Amino acid sequence: MKKISLFIGALLFSTLFYKQSLGLNMSLFSLITILVLAIYNPKSFKEKRTIALSIIYIITATSIFFYQSVLSTIANCVAFFTLIGHVSEHHSSIYINWLNGFYTFVAGFFHRNFNVIENEQKVTPKKDIDYVHWIKIIGIPLVVIIVFISLYKNGNPVFGNLISKIDFSFINLQWILLSVLGYYLLYNISTPISVNPATDSDLKTGNTLTNKTEFSIENAKKENQLGVILIALLNVLIVIFLITDFTYLVSTTDLRASVFSNQVHSGINALIASIIIAIIIILYFFRGNLNFFKDNKTLKNLAFIWIFLNMVLVVNTFIKDGQYIYYFGFTYKRIGVLIYLLLTIIGLITTAIKVKQIKNFWYLLRVNTVAAFTILIISSAINWDKQITFYNINYAQSMDFEYLIDLSNNNTFLLKQYSDNLFLKGERKTLIDKKYRYYLRELNNRNWQEYSYDNLLLKE
Amino acid sequence: MKTSKIILKATLLSTCIFWLIIFSGNFESLMIPFMFLSLIPISLCCATTIMITILPFFRFKTINNKNNIVFKKYFPFYAIVCFSLCFYGVLIDLDLACFYVSAFFTTMQSWVWFGKEVESKS
Repeated sequence: MKKISLFIGALLFSTLFYKQSLGLNMSLFSLITILVLAIYNPKSFKEKRTIALSIIYIITATSIFFYQSVLSTIANCVAFFTLIGHVSEHHSSIYINWLNGFYTFVAGFFHRNFNVIENEQKVTPKKDIDYVHWIKIIGIPLVVIIVFISLYKNGNPVFGNLISKIDFSFINLQWILLSVLGYYLLYNISTPISVNPATDSDLKTGNTLTNKTEFSIENAKKENQLGVILIALLNVLIVIFLITDFTYLVSTTDLRASVFSNQVHSGINALIASIIIAIIIILYFFRGNLNFFKDNKTLKNLAFIWIFLNMVLVVNTFIKDGQYIYYFGFTYKRIGVLIYLLLTIIGLITTAIKVKQIKNFWYLLRVNTVAAFTILIISSAINWDKQITFYNINYAQSMDFEYLIDLSNNNTFLLKQYSDNLFLKGERKTLIDKKYRYYLRELNNRNWQEYSYDNLLLKE
Repeated sequence: MKTSKIILKATLLSTCIFWLIIFSGNFESLMIPFMFLSLIPISLCCATTIMITILPFFRFKTINNKNNIVFKKYFPFYAIVCFSLCFYGVLIDLDLACFYVSAFFTTMQSWVWFGKEVESKS
């Protein structure tokens, strides 16, 4: 039963992907994957977390069916590795899930092949396969038969006619090879593998710092002094920066896109550097003994103030980006800035928690990777091109029309609707009509494996 | 199993995969002599790759590390890096897919052969 599911899966894999682009096939493949995983790992699928990850995986696959965007494809791959990694080890961190999932997907067959050899040799010595004999009994008769067929073909016209009628063109070797690849991939993921010692080490590592050894009070005092001076100075510096930045923000009347762009992007660069250095400095001072030093309250308070001021910096950049969007509409870069700011806020909050609750570096890594994964999944479920177009057409003070035309086909129907409703004329109408025509042609040329939601709209 | 034997087996495996992929797209009997001729560059590629990227893991292992331990410790990361490079190569030039696919599967199987070699000694 188990092997049959792999064979069927392999044949379906080839049917779905042979000379096809992505679309409905990814959704169907995700179902096949989950089915194979569930057949081979029934216990794992009794867990709520496995079911939740399966649902997330299906959502990302469905979003490919709806939007066919690069982001949905990336999210689908990440969700796929997370699910497989989770099945391999239920209690490991998400980044270890990715490692295990990716390794299982790539080389599970060879890992298990090696393990089988190892186990077999320990229990009973395996009888060596006589490859030479097999080559002889298959290869030699095959070559001899081919030689004789070619001889007889020329010698007898009736036999030659019969041989020439044999047509093997229906066998598509590429299709068969893709099926073999499908079998290899499904076999790999059927029994997920844990990469060790990475997984074991992750399982042993908790989230909290412990005071294992007695430390020198004198050294801790010196380090505490250094930390207080450094973070206090950095606090002063960031306050001055924020005051000047807010003054500029309030006083500026220049509404040119280039000025906004420069402000937001240079602000973001400053923010990236500032936040990374802030987290590294905080991690350095609160890496061990200083967490348990009784006179560390000033240092902790200064660290909290610094984190708070960095958050103000984030809000400041958010306002600038918001103004930029209000005047000139959405673009992928401006949305990227918003997502980065959101991740930064999460990073700063978790750093504050790390300092307050004496957590270790692994806690930060675990929580923040989960946050990044969640944001990726949510982002992949949004039709960004359509949302950008909708906002820019209806709400933006000025709009870059060529940018909207250059976006993917996900906004084509919306642009067409916009053109028809406003009775557009001239170059804009020509560009929209051209995009619409090309897209219709593309939709009509698709095979069922490549279908997207727009194909269904077209049929209605 | 000696390294030379593994290189020989890797060459045969690599040649089979390489030409199977090429023949799956376009088979011409005129290409058969080239198949045998290609054994020379393929064997050179296999020998170089195996000796530079796989053999050092097994030759410079510590005394306590058996080959199966070396395999379990380093193979996952080797496989991930190798797959990423080959996948990138295929993305850059799809025409070279036969080279990258055969390189990936041959190196993976070579690791298994090396790991097995240790086991048979112990």
